[in-house]
Amino acid sequence: MRRYRKTAYLFLTPFLAVFIAFYLAPVGYALYLSLFVRKRIGVGPPKEVFGGLANYMRAVQDTDFLIGLKNMFVFGVVQVPIMLGLAILLALLLHQSRGFFMKICRTAYFMPYGIPTAIGAMVWGYLYAPNLSPFNQILRALHQGTIDFLSPAVVLFSIANIVTWTWTGYNMITLFAALQNIPQDLYEAARVDGAKTWDIVRRIQIPLLLPALRLLFIFSVIGTSQLFTEAFVLRPLGYLADNITPNLYVYLTAARDANYSYAGALAILLALLIFVISGPFLRRIASR
Amino acid sequence: MNNSIVWRSFPPSPARRSALPFLLWALAGYVCLFLPALKAQSTYQEPDYSKFQPESGPITLEVWTWVVGLDKAAPLFEKAFPNIKVHVNNVGAGPTEYQKLQTAIKAGSGGPDVAQIEYDFLPSFVVTDGIVDISKYGAGDVKSFFVPWTWGQCSPDGKAVYGIPQDSGPMALLYNKKIFDQYGLTVPTTWDEFAQQAEKLAKASNGKVMLVDYVPTQAPWFIGLAWANGATLFKQNGDSWTQSLNSPECQKVLEFWADLIKKKYVATIPDFTPEFYTAVGSSQIAASIEAAWGPGVLAQSLNDKTSGEWQVAPLPQWSKGQTFRSGNWGGSCDVVLKQSKYPKAATLFSIWLNAAKGPVINNWTSYGIFPASLSGLASSDLNQADKNPSKFCGGQNVAQVYADASKAVNEEFPWSPWFAFVNDDYNKQIAALIAGTMTAKQALDAWQADSLKTPPAMATTSKGSSEVHLHGAPRPRGAFPSS
Repeated sequence: MRRYRKTAYLFLTPFLAVFIAFYLAPVGYALYLSLFVRKRIGVGPPKEVFGGLANYMRAVQDTDFLIGLKNMFVFGVVQVPIMLGLAILLALLLHQSRGFFMKICRTAYFMPYGIPTAIGAMVWGYLYAPNLSPFNQILRALHQGTIDFLSPAVVLFSIANIVTWTWTGYNMITLFAALQNIPQDLYEAARVDGAKTWDIVRRIQIPLLLPALRLLFIFSVIGTSQLFTEAFVLRPLGYLADNITPNLYVYLTAARDANYSYAGALAILLALLIFVISGPFLRRIASR
Repeated sequence: MNNSIVWRSFPPSPARRSALPFLLWALAGYVCLFLPALKAQSTYQEPDYSKFQPESGPITLEVWTWVVGLDKAAPLFEKAFPNIKVHVNNVGAGPTEYQKLQTAIKAGSGGPDVAQIEYDFLPSFVVTDGIVDISKYGAGDVKSFFVPWTWGQCSPDGKAVYGIPQDSGPMALLYNKKIFDQYGLTVPTTWDEFAQQAEKLAKASNGKVMLVDYVPTQAPWFIGLAWANGATLFKQNGDSWTQSLNSPECQKVLEFWADLIKKKYVATIPDFTPEFYTAVGSSQIAASIEAAWGPGVLAQSLNDKTSGEWQVAPLPQWSKGQTFRSGNWGGSCDVVLKQSKYPKAATLFSIWLNAAKGPVINNWTSYGIFPASLSGLASSDLNQADKNPSKFCGGQNVAQVYADASKAVNEEFPWSPWFAFVNDDYNKQIAALIAGTMTAKQALDAWQADSLKTPPAMATTSKGSSEVHLHGAPRPRGAFPSS
């Protein structure tokens, strides 16, 4: 038994070493940093002194940060259901179709996932540019006016669109694979019992997709909390609020304002929040 | 030299023997008075580099910059100083580099010996204690080789020297002569004339062609125009700072532009975007208020489209016959990091890079980077009609227009450690101004108020005042106003 444990650790070492060095240690360091505040004594550069929970007190009163969190929730509530709904629909359609057409569609839907997020966001940035946007050119031709996709009121949804474009295919493939795993005899039994296609979807396919769907939902929620690249890439193209996503706000606090300890506190709070939200779901999945 | 020729050209005559020596000596003295000026024009002056002794032994300097092609200067330096190797690393422009630099400073290692930093971002590195005051290595001695206002940018208090000026961005009006001719526009010399031409063009072209683009996402562009109007944004008094983003000087400038924006006589496209370059390249924008490095960037970004159609004219003034003034947009210096093991060699390199003729001239003729060195500014070698940026402007001596602009830049213009925030927050207020939800005054007031919220990260601020005190303990609540 003991020998087996040793072997297990041996196999785990490469992972654990990297996990500790590049994951746990930075988190620990951020936690440590977050307990300090900048203080000036006389002339000269400020000193970092122990400040207890001062940064956390500041964070929970920071309207900019709270608005960032609100943006995150709005984004999650709107974008995640749309993306997963689309993914289910596409997976079901693909499952119904056969042959060459299906293969082409499957690859085409999945392709955006293979494009690096930054590149995808740059291409979308071009498509969103008020005067160059082909969407606006079409709207103009139809005399429908134009949309400024990068204006403060719209840009969150423009980002949501990029995320949906990137991730729907990935979610679809996962659901499609889950559909392939449903035993054929279930369908046959249903048909014998006189089930229509819609009945099969509602009573067999969707229920059996639920475990996979739950997992994808968790991934999407976590992904929503980590939104950064799209906003960061679109930023130079117009005015994007610092707090359009909480992660961007944390980044700017650290990298732009050089306030690492406050950024550390914000990051820890954000992580805790996501943990609280996704924890119960994860536990339900793990218990199955 | 000149005085010896003078001596020989007056053959002594016996009759005037008594008066002649006096006259000749006076003449010689008079000529000598002008010698420094003559020398500055005819010969390129460089500091005596032997005064800056590097550390002993073989040295490798790591240099971070985003000037493309600066690595070509490295071999020239290595030839002159064989003990020192230079490794040039382009780690990204502006904020991309700053983030890496701040991280390295915070980590205490991993940074370069020499780094390029824009003037407006310099104080944020001084305050994080990352860069060396190189006056202790004698850098103060080369002050006279640089344009005074650029030196002031690196040495705000006149004592500490935080960097050596590399390039400068005095502003001028770049205009497309073809469009100007087509619509019968005249080159404006005052802002009143400018507004008239903007109106004329917008009406004549049915709003299809705009005189200029009001740059909505580059605070330093606006600040340069305010600088030309005599504004200063920050002032350090010992250990406290004053910030005045909403001063009357700033207000006058923004109100002028807000009016043009409201009437739709100017475009409001973010600069450095495909959309901006498309608009300029397809002649939808007739002119652009550009810093000295601007024509070079445009020539490159437009792939020489519309090349030769452009001309540079002095920046319009607020009133006719006033003392000519310009402002600065951008420009950067080279700093020495405290982490450097070879601060003396790094100081030497920074001075050489920005004072030596080779790299200074090459920066302009190859990359359109405008010198901060006085000799560079005066050098006729900047005028190369067949090379950009002159070529882009139909062979015009672009450097001369910008050299005159540089002389007209107000010398005192300090920045603040929290400028990075001020820079970004400008975009927010201007977006509201363009959307019509804020007036110019409201936008500036909001900019001022928002930007006083961030100094707590570095200092404490008295609520509601423009004074920022950099000493004392932060107040957990009052110091961070929540709205």
